[in-house]
Amino acid sequence: MKYVSIVFGAIALAALAMLAACAADREPAPMPQQSTTRVAEPTDVIDQRLMLALSQAKNLHHKAKIYISDGNVAAATASVREILSLEFPAGAPEAEDVRNDARALLGKLLVGQGDLDEAMHVVQEGIAGSQRKSFFVANLYTVEGEIHEARASKLPAGDPHVVDEKHAAIEAFDRSNQIDVELQKQLVEHQ
Amino acid sequence: MTDRNDDDYLAGPVPEPDAEPSAAERAHAKTFAELVDKTLAGRMPAAMSADDRALVEVATVIRAASGEVELPVARRRAVVEDALRQAVGGAGAATTAGAIVTLPRRRWAPWAVAGASSLVAAAALAVLWLRAPRVAEEVAPPPPEVRATPASWRSRPADPLVGRIQRDHAGDAATRIDTIFADRLDGYRERRLVGGKP
Repeated sequence: MKYVSIVFGAIALAALAMLAACAADREPAPMPQQSTTRVAEPTDVIDQRLMLALSQAKNLHHKAKIYISDGNVAAATASVREILSLEFPAGAPEAEDVRNDARALLGKLLVGQGDLDEAMHVVQEGIAGSQRKSFFVANLYTVEGEIHEARASKLPAGDPHVVDEKHAAIEAFDRSNQIDVELQKQLVEHQ
Repeated sequence: MTDRNDDDYLAGPVPEPDAEPSAAERAHAKTFAELVDKTLAGRMPAAMSADDRALVEVATVIRAASGEVELPVARRRAVVEDALRQAVGGAGAATTAGAIVTLPRRRWAPWAVAGASSLVAAAALAVLWLRAPRVAEEVAPPPPEVRATPASWRSRPADPLVGRIQRDHAGDAATRIDTIFADRLDGYRERRLVGGKP
């Protein structure tokens, strides 16, 4: 019987010692950090590079506008061409829009200078390089139609290519309208 | 020889050790011996002189001290049976020998110690279990709330901003780039000021 008491007493002492050790080592529970609202930071946010490219495009357009107002179409054309070489952030949708808009203006300037082939090349290059339908692409088709009109008007009467150019112009205008209507519907649906 | 009074052997002078006993002394000794024998045999006379009673009591004490006193068989058997009866839980019979005195038992002490120790151990384990840290609660802080990036902060197509481009304004790119730049600048400033990003 004495041994039983000794064993139980030893167990109790061990338990107390363990409790004391745990109590001494225990650190106070850290206070829960206050939750902070964090905004997701995707890679397509507006950053300095995008703003710089847009700013340069804006200045080049105004520069071209001044040249045009002064009748210096060549300088205006050069300014607009600079827009096509601006560096935008990779994948920025604004890059395609701004470049297509610059191509549309450049095409019209080239048409004004009588360089219809170069105008057509600039416009068709923009259409072919576009990744999506947009009002700017539709505008390129509009300019393409104007170029076809200009070509038809420059051909001699009775030239069989006149009809072809006119048909191409009509097709370009129709394509422009088709894109506009399609995008307009999408915008209305999203509103 | 000294003057002797054999009738007063208690208060009288003590005879010499080697002195011859007198006839009176012999007669008295014989009478007392018979009295002692009767007493030991349980036949003590109801009446005796005070001197004889005192002597009988002394003789009884001396005999008891010598350890040779034995109870009668019947009396001894009664005492043994009474003791056995008390041992098995029965009530002891009334006896002149007196009840058997049982010492207080101390068997409860070891069990009390063991029980108290077990209680302390159980309490310690319970406290340990109750105070065990909730690992999941302490280690993992709540994740910050992630809010979707506002659309005005993101690079996106300019179609909703510009709208359909009329043929008359096909070459008015300067006006459109102004609109686009102003809108994106608003988003960029908002992101910098509110979001704290460069």
